[in-house]
Amino acid sequence: MPQFFLNKRLILLLVSIIFLVALIGFSLKERKELTWSEQFVKDTTGFVQFLFHQPAQLVAGFFENVQDIKNTYKENKLLKARLEEYVMLEAEVQTLKKENEELRAVLDKKESLRDFIPIEATVIGRNPDRWQETVIINKGEQQGIKKDMAVITPSGLIGKIQHASQFTSTVQLLSAIDRQNRISAYVQGKDGSVFGLIEGYDDKRQALLLKQVPFDAKIEKKQLVLTSGLGGIFPKGLPIGEVEEVEPDEYGLTKMAYVKPAANFYDVDEVIVVKRKIDAVQEGETK
Amino acid sequence: MKKLFLPALAVVFFVSESLFVELWPKHLWYEQYVFVPRFLLIFLLFVTIYGTRTHGMVYGVIFGLLYDVVYTEILGVYMFAFPLIAYIAAKVMKWFHTHLIVACFLSMVFISVLEFYVYGIQLLIGKTTMSFEQFYADRLLPTLLVNALFLLVCSYPLKQRLVKMYEREE
Repeated sequence: MPQFFLNKRLILLLVSIIFLVALIGFSLKERKELTWSEQFVKDTTGFVQFLFHQPAQLVAGFFENVQDIKNTYKENKLLKARLEEYVMLEAEVQTLKKENEELRAVLDKKESLRDFIPIEATVIGRNPDRWQETVIINKGEQQGIKKDMAVITPSGLIGKIQHASQFTSTVQLLSAIDRQNRISAYVQGKDGSVFGLIEGYDDKRQALLLKQVPFDAKIEKKQLVLTSGLGGIFPKGLPIGEVEEVEPDEYGLTKMAYVKPAANFYDVDEVIVVKRKIDAVQEGETK
Repeated sequence: MKKLFLPALAVVFFVSESLFVELWPKHLWYEQYVFVPRFLLIFLLFVTIYGTRTHGMVYGVIFGLLYDVVYTEILGVYMFAFPLIAYIAAKVMKWFHTHLIVACFLSMVFISVLEFYVYGIQLLIGKTTMSFEQFYADRLLPTLLVNALFLLVCSYPLKQRLVKMYEREE
């Protein structure tokens, strides 16, 4: 009799291992959408997380405030110095904007890759086992979010939407290793811009890798790296970071640059999901 | 009301992991080290040890599935691991007296087991290129430390709660 029971358990174990492998295989497949059951579970837990999140954030926020007060004096000094620069820049931006608009009117070109509709969202959860760096935000398809949209903070690009369900979505941070995680970018050089692709992340240096840069391109340290908008979904001109170091890549045919990200991937509370205006217009037309 | 106590507690532990990672001050060790809160696993083990094996395994399946769907998006990994660990823990507990220190020690052992298991799977499906030394120093040790601290604070109240609840049921 005990032998028999042992066998039954063994069979159960084997069956569940097969089940496990099948499930992992299923979830590793490139999926456009999550199944409705997954979406339902995600949205429900998202709601629960949201309930817990608010009071916890308040408590944590209090301690953070206490720490912030300590730094206030130093920061204030620095900011005052910056303020004067800012006024100058502001004036310049205004004139440039106006000029741009006028020129566009002359050319009769209304849409631009740069324009986007921002959707603001709050981070309500994070993947606790940090094998894939993902965060969960409280806006979903109902608010117009779709897979692969860019996600930014005021300082720069932090990632893209991995999956969107009805009321929540998952954001894959740029630091996640993913071969498909390519972003078309350009370096703002002195004479013209240099295009390349952001492919991967160096954990040790904490820098993004900008690859496929032409060998004769002139890139220097501290130059800004922005999204080019040619990849299809991201708008143009979202800041990614600045060049830290340039070296020839493994085959010596192209160059590779280490890019220090402008935004802190780890410290995100509020994010903005970016919807390109051109796509929104096209959607409206097809409807 | 009493029947809802255990599921509610499980949900609290489930959400607390994500909250812990999110609210941790990010300039403190967060970027160099990876510490994974395994509060839910600790809860499952305590339920198995102080309650019944069936409860441990059923909660393991349900919350393992939730963990996979909501957090990692790779289905099956935790749904398989949690009930199996609960089952093995119940087997192992036949050799020991039910004591808080034993429970805590077992929790630490099984947290390491789970870490190794998940590391193995991540390597297998090519989602990570982390070397073993890196895994050991940057991931396993900080994880054990964080969970040991958690056990130090929460194991006694958790045990008291569970013991009281299961006594009442009998």
